Amino acid sequence: MEKIAELIIKGRWGIIVAVVAVTVFFGFQLTELKINADIMSSLPDDDPAALLYKDIGKEFGGNDMGMIALETDNIFKTEVLQHVKQITDTLRSIPGVSTVTSLTDILDIRGEEWGIEITRLIDEYDIPDTKEELDKLRERVFAKDMYRGAIVSEDATTTLIIYTTFDDADKQDIAKEIKENITSLNLPEKVYFAGLPMMMNDVSDLIRLDIIKLIPIVVLVIATILWFSFRSVRGIVLPLITSGIAIIWALGLMPLFGYELTIISNNIPIILFAVGSAYTIHVINRINYTFERDKRKAVITALSYIAVPVFLAAITTMIGFVSFIFGAYLLMIKDFGVFTAIGTFFAFILSVTFTPALVVALSGKEKSPKTHDNEENLSTDFLSKHVLTPIQRVLFKHTNYILVAWIILILITIGGIFMIKRSVNMQKYFKKNNPTRVAEDVMQRKFGGSQPVYIVFYGDMQSPEVLQLMIDMEHYMKKNRFVTTAKSVADLISQMNDVMGEGVKVPKEKAKIEQLWFLLEGQDIMTQLVNDDLDKGIIQSRFGSYDSKDMADFVNYIDKFIAEHSNADHRIELTGLPSVYVRMDKSLFDSQMSSLAIALVLLLVIVGLILRSFSRGLYATIPIISTIAILFGFMGYTGISLDVATVLVASVALGIGIDYSIHIITHFNHAMNKHKDIKEAMKETIMMSGKAIIINVLSVAAGFLVLLFSQMVPLQNFGLLVALSMFGSGAGALTLLPAVLILANRKESKKQNTIHQPLKREKNEAHKIIVN
Amino acid sequence: MKRIKLLLISTVLMVQGTMAQDAGEILKKMDEVLYSSKDMMGKNRIVLIDKNGKEKIREAIFKQKGNDKRLFRFTKPASQDGISTLSLPNDVMYLYLPSFGKERRISSGVKSQKFAGTDFTYEDMEAKTFVEKYTGTLLGEEGDLLVLELIPKSPKSGYSKLITKVNKEHYYPVYTEYYDKGGNKIKIAKYTFKKIGKYWNSEVIEMTDLKKNHTTKMIMYDVKYDTGLNDDEFTVRKLKQ
Repeated sequence: MEKIAELIIKGRWGIIVAVVAVTVFFGFQLTELKINADIMSSLPDDDPAALLYKDIGKEFGGNDMGMIALETDNIFKTEVLQHVKQITDTLRSIPGVSTVTSLTDILDIRGEEWGIEITRLIDEYDIPDTKEELDKLRERVFAKDMYRGAIVSEDATTTLIIYTTFDDADKQDIAKEIKENITSLNLPEKVYFAGLPMMMNDVSDLIRLDIIKLIPIVVLVIATILWFSFRSVRGIVLPLITSGIAIIWALGLMPLFGYELTIISNNIPIILFAVGSAYTIHVINRINYTFERDKRKAVITALSYIAVPVFLAAITTMIGFVSFIFGAYLLMIKDFGVFTAIGTFFAFILSVTFTPALVVALSGKEKSPKTHDNEENLSTDFLSKHVLTPIQRVLFKHTNYILVAWIILILITIGGIFMIKRSVNMQKYFKKNNPTRVAEDVMQRKFGGSQPVYIVFYGDMQSPEVLQLMIDMEHYMKKNRFVTTAKSVADLISQMNDVMGEGVKVPKEKAKIEQLWFLLEGQDIMTQLVNDDLDKGIIQSRFGSYDSKDMADFVNYIDKFIAEHSNADHRIELTGLPSVYVRMDKSLFDSQMSSLAIALVLLLVIVGLILRSFSRGLYATIPIISTIAILFGFMGYTGISLDVATVLVASVALGIGIDYSIHIITHFNHAMNKHKDIKEAMKETIMMSGKAIIINVLSVAAGFLVLLFSQMVPLQNFGLLVALSMFGSGAGALTLLPAVLILANRKESKKQNTIHQPLKREKNEAHKIIVN
Repeated sequence: MKRIKLLLISTVLMVQGTMAQDAGEILKKMDEVLYSSKDMMGKNRIVLIDKNGKEKIREAIFKQKGNDKRLFRFTKPASQDGISTLSLPNDVMYLYLPSFGKERRISSGVKSQKFAGTDFTYEDMEAKTFVEKYTGTLLGEEGDLLVLELIPKSPKSGYSKLITKVNKEHYYPVYTEYYDKGGNKIKIAKYTFKKIGKYWNSEVIEMTDLKKNHTTKMIMYDVKYDTGLNDDEFTVRKLKQ
């Protein structure tokens, strides 16, 4: 170790130049980093439900549908209709917009006594302006399923203007242009923007906003903590520079491998500042504590002691993040895990190479390196006097009580575990006042939700059987109270049949269907309902509840119909957001378990290896496992639900929190060898390692708490919960773990005094203690 | 100085004035070339080409008398065999679906509606003369072509303007661009004219929807002019046969 340390010092200028060069390289890569706001692209391709949803949404254009909702007291007014026309015209004039459907631009095929009238619902050049005309329009709108609840809300207060775009158009740019152009119309009605393209545009802004807003905050927070810990410019600047470089490297790596910044991974900088700066803190701290006059020697001594613990801290944290790869449902969370792990690794490497190199390189100019020692002692004295000394006193006086207190705490919180809610609803990821969420709420209230549901039929789309089956399915669907609208080509054919004077039904003869089809061909709506080859068609519908159980019931309900009616001639499949959410919901529990299990097993192995004993490895996990139990209980009681982001807290907490226990156990073993006395050893451990642990807990927790300012609710919760876990595992490492260690060693020493015990006994005892 | 300016302005106005007059005359001449036969009949092949180059072919026979009576009967594909439309003066149109065995009168107030899967709208198919439909401005000349800007007279038109290029010698259109209300170019039509007897016939019209990248080729063949078609040919009874 020492040799490596010497090499690092010798090659310090080389290291500094190399780091600068690599940083410049990745800095340039960073300019290539693109924002990916398309949440759909994060749905996993290996989940058939998600894949089908993506494919169908793309093939029939449903995912590209944007909506503008206009809300007022009554939409059946001349000026409101004029505003609808204004919006419609604005949309139509934007390049890339393919179709626009609104009250002033919607086809109305009427069967009159004398024949068929193909017309618009409203003549956009002769907008109704008398009471009679407006009443007549209202009557007509509420008479047809095509309009009622579809483009005009049941209470006549809201109307939709729906647009689609071309395949090759930039959907986000169009959404942005639409928002700007429509906002500049300054309409007196309330205007909302909904649908995926609008949401994507919003998300893209949120990603930028989070980065711009949160990075300065986290830098400030960490700088403050560093100031209180080190009271030196170097102590503030070095950790921030090293983690800053690690962030540039990690993010610069993303475009190199074709990854884009998502709504989750945009928070990598925040997390790396929190996690990564800790490694440099350890290194500097150790250098400060090494009372060597020669800076070189001090650095070498410090480095040869601290490199291994820092490496261990890094590797365990990385395991926490890497466990996402196996546990997460959304691709963007996996990416986030991978790049945060990589960034953590960079931060580690930099902290043991770049930091010492820089310290030595700069030390020549620094005349008196440690003028701040007294101050530092003052600030840490506070910790020693008011926190650590009481802790270690209580530890010996009331060892059993501490244990009991923890057990009671855990028992109380276990009750909360059963109250944990799961949430897969992407709307709830946005804050309550976020325009996307507000718009979706309006859609929910006025139009029975905006969650797309597609039922896909494979077969001859012109066969009477298939079309009849579609109609049957629509009737069946509408019996569910969360389904209000459904449309398919079968509806259009039935309507045309009516227009031909034969009633609203699917004709029994294929020839009739083919000829009615002739009339519909080329209509914009056809491409949204059937494919070109006429062997695939969909029922488009919307689902109005975000409740997991409602969604699961709906999926089961539809699956029952499919099981009864799907066959070789006409296969039926269900997809849409409810199906995806149901899958996601099921996968949440699995994710939690697999991610946690993977992290736990890997950590046990690594910690066991570090401590050269499986039983000590087990001890080390006691505080963090207790913390995780408390964490889940907290989530249950406070109503923070398990979602795509909070599902990962446990693994991250495990990865970071275990470090504290490792510190305590290593130090305790070391001290036991030195003092041969439990009390003395524990006192030294708590007083010395305790300080480092408390500072570390504070800085990491503060860093994660910055996520409370994030625009995304899951990340806010993620930050809060990780911070909470840091406090929990810190407290556990300083109270619960020492109590367990004291009891285990007491019993062991008693037994060792009577009979010689084989080493295996230690493990059994540990188990008994845990069980008790 | 002022006088020079006035002079300049009046010259510009005069030039524009003569050009406008020219355009009006050009439109009249175009109408003479395109709508002077008493009647015509023939066959139509409609080729629909989607953005992937996939083709759908339809065949039809048609008869036309004057400008405002037209019978159109599909013969291919088999499923559409016999579907017929009869257009009569004053926007009266009948549709006949053989599988239903009955005709329905159709009234379409939607000019920008596409006609039966083609890239032609009802407005494009309207049997109205250029003079009736547009106000023209001569923009200039390109070789042996006159370039005209046409502004639709009806406020209900789906277009804001058309730019059309007309053969200088024979006054038939060669190429037309269609602009939507936002001023975007949305469609292009290319024409191939052939003289049959004393009339110029639009043998091929190729209409491309630039937004959808979809093309319709309308090919006319076996065309006969002035065969003396009777008004009886254009009745609802005939439609059903």
